[in-house]
Amino acid sequence: MKPSVVVANLYVKLICVYREKTTMFFTLAFPIILILLFGSIFMSQDNVNFHLCVQDLDQSKSSRDSVAALGESGKFKLTAVDPTVDAVQYLRETKATLVLVIPKGFERSLLRRKFFREYGETATLTYVYDPSSSSVPTKMAILSGVIAGANQEISGIPPFIKTVQKSILTKQYRFIEYFIPGIIAMSVMTLSLFGTANMNTELRQKGIIRKLSTTPITRTEWILSDVLYFFTIALVTTTIMLVVSWAVFRANLHLNLWLPAFVMLDVFAFVGIGMTLTRFVKESQSAAAAANAISFPMMFLSGSFFPVELMPGFLQTLAKTLPLYYVNEGLRAAMIFQDNAAAGHAAAIIGIFAAIVFVLGIIATKWEEGQ
Amino acid sequence: MSAKPDYAIEVEKLTKRYGDLTAVDEISFTVKKGEVFALLGPNGAGKSTTVEIIDTIRTLTSGKVSLLGMDVTKQKLDIVARIGVLPQDFSSFDRITVKETLQYYSRLFSGPHADIDGLMELVNLTDRSQVEYKNLSGGLKQRLGIALALVNNPEVVFLDEPTTGLDPRARREVWQVLEGLKSQGKTVLLTTHYMEEAELLADTVAIISRGRIIAMDSPGELIRQNANYEILTLQSADSKAFEVVRGMGFEPLPDQRRDCRIRVEHAPDLLRILSSVKDAGAHYLGLDVRKPNLEEVFLKLTGEALHDGPVAAKGQP
Repeated sequence: MKPSVVVANLYVKLICVYREKTTMFFTLAFPIILILLFGSIFMSQDNVNFHLCVQDLDQSKSSRDSVAALGESGKFKLTAVDPTVDAVQYLRETKATLVLVIPKGFERSLLRRKFFREYGETATLTYVYDPSSSSVPTKMAILSGVIAGANQEISGIPPFIKTVQKSILTKQYRFIEYFIPGIIAMSVMTLSLFGTANMNTELRQKGIIRKLSTTPITRTEWILSDVLYFFTIALVTTTIMLVVSWAVFRANLHLNLWLPAFVMLDVFAFVGIGMTLTRFVKESQSAAAAANAISFPMMFLSGSFFPVELMPGFLQTLAKTLPLYYVNEGLRAAMIFQDNAAAGHAAAIIGIFAAIVFVLGIIATKWEEGQ
Repeated sequence: MSAKPDYAIEVEKLTKRYGDLTAVDEISFTVKKGEVFALLGPNGAGKSTTVEIIDTIRTLTSGKVSLLGMDVTKQKLDIVARIGVLPQDFSSFDRITVKETLQYYSRLFSGPHADIDGLMELVNLTDRSQVEYKNLSGGLKQRLGIALALVNNPEVVFLDEPTTGLDPRARREVWQVLEGLKSQGKTVLLTTHYMEEAELLADTVAIISRGRIIAMDSPGELIRQNANYEILTLQSADSKAFEVVRGMGFEPLPDQRRDCRIRVEHAPDLLRILSSVKDAGAHYLGLDVRKPNLEEVFLKLTGEALHDGPVAAKGQP
């Protein structure tokens, strides 16, 4: 292998992308859009504020105080529902998803329980809800927590089991900071996989590969130059993502040598997959479709957007077979937990995978035509 | 097959099949060092497949091909360092300039630095050295392609249809470059479906049709052996002229225009045809009598027109 040939290829590819302003713009803009979009979504999750409709049928001081306490919890934005309307009908006619109904006699039961120790007295709150709404279970879970606290307070006895939060991290991290390593891993994968498949099928369609096949360049030199090209672009886009996430969201992550190492392994793995794909697809449109078929499941199953723990058991098993999962895990271990052992373990797994697909890519790459 | 030192290329019973289709069917030929050899034939005849097997772009199905004494199926890397190729439908990276493209390909060969300025001068691209590939005209792109084929100072140059799709002026510009290569003593294997190109540039022409070589010699010898007659052309002739000619037992040759072209083997027949046409009151705009060219030889040998594939007994206006 001749380094001068690899450098010559790298130079030409970089010059081409630099001069193609539209490609350049979208290559750099895509990660910024991702960070801004998902960052905004997940930042607001830190201060989540659900819409809750409350129908107070009791209209007493106690019921009004309870409603006010719900509002003060900071979790809900409350809307009062007229006590004379039917809650079910109200839900059907409005875009609301959950109505909390406080029954008539709430205050009376509360006072009898509190002051006359009549423990048989209870008040039943009703959740009238739309089961098709995905936010309802979360709202009900929060409400149940609030109600459990209220019951505890009414009982007048201090709780036996208490909890205290103790993070293994010295610093308090927000969701956005957990999210950024996943976005870096995903965007490097997209760049490398789509870029390799598109670029090489286009060069083959144009006949440039045919011309290159009449020169002494080897498949290894060609693929290695692809890896270096996408690594260069990936470093630039990763830097931009980190700068934007710090500037806009004040995201604060640990930067160390693991970051370029995982970016390089990510590039190696997905350039190898891209080169293997190129062997089997003839046109750039087919290449994009094939790359989509690989990247989409990977994107959603490997924990870039959603924690793998939220998935059903078999999907969790599947996630652990995906290379992007280990890039995500490794980057989080390095950039958040500063856990070198975990980062090294993930790097070893993705490194073995990258080496295998890189060799497969070399084998699959075909200079000669018409076998 | 042992390569003789005076042969640059030796092809023996070369066959290429794609499934049931036989694109090249047991062809054999040799190209001497310093010779310009043209494979002449219509689209789909098997010219490009043959060249692409010799210059290592394609693999062969059977047969033997030796290039500069090396087996093309086994010594690709040694071979590509010593040849230059202009593939069919040549293309390059859109956003790099003429000079950058030449520098790039020069680096791929990793040999002594090529004389980039000299190459640009050879193909008359010096004043376009800073123009990006995508902004070049078709003729300029082909000239750049030829320069790229020379960037490693090759011993054998393969030019696959170097002037296809070019306008007549651009074609002549490319011919000038190819004549320059010929004068430098390069071995050139050229494919073309332009007779004029083969006649002008080639020392040896192999006529290829449906994957087989049906004639091979120098252009002059091919004409002498296969076309011992004159071509009489009645330009823009009316239908009566065609009737008269046919009535005399001559079959006009296929023609794209309204010209009535007749093979005449005996000189007295020329006068006889002209007299009969005149006596019948048939009209034509002008007449021409000349020796046949390679196109007529090709037509005679294959019954195919070079540009438009097989033709039936055409020629009637």
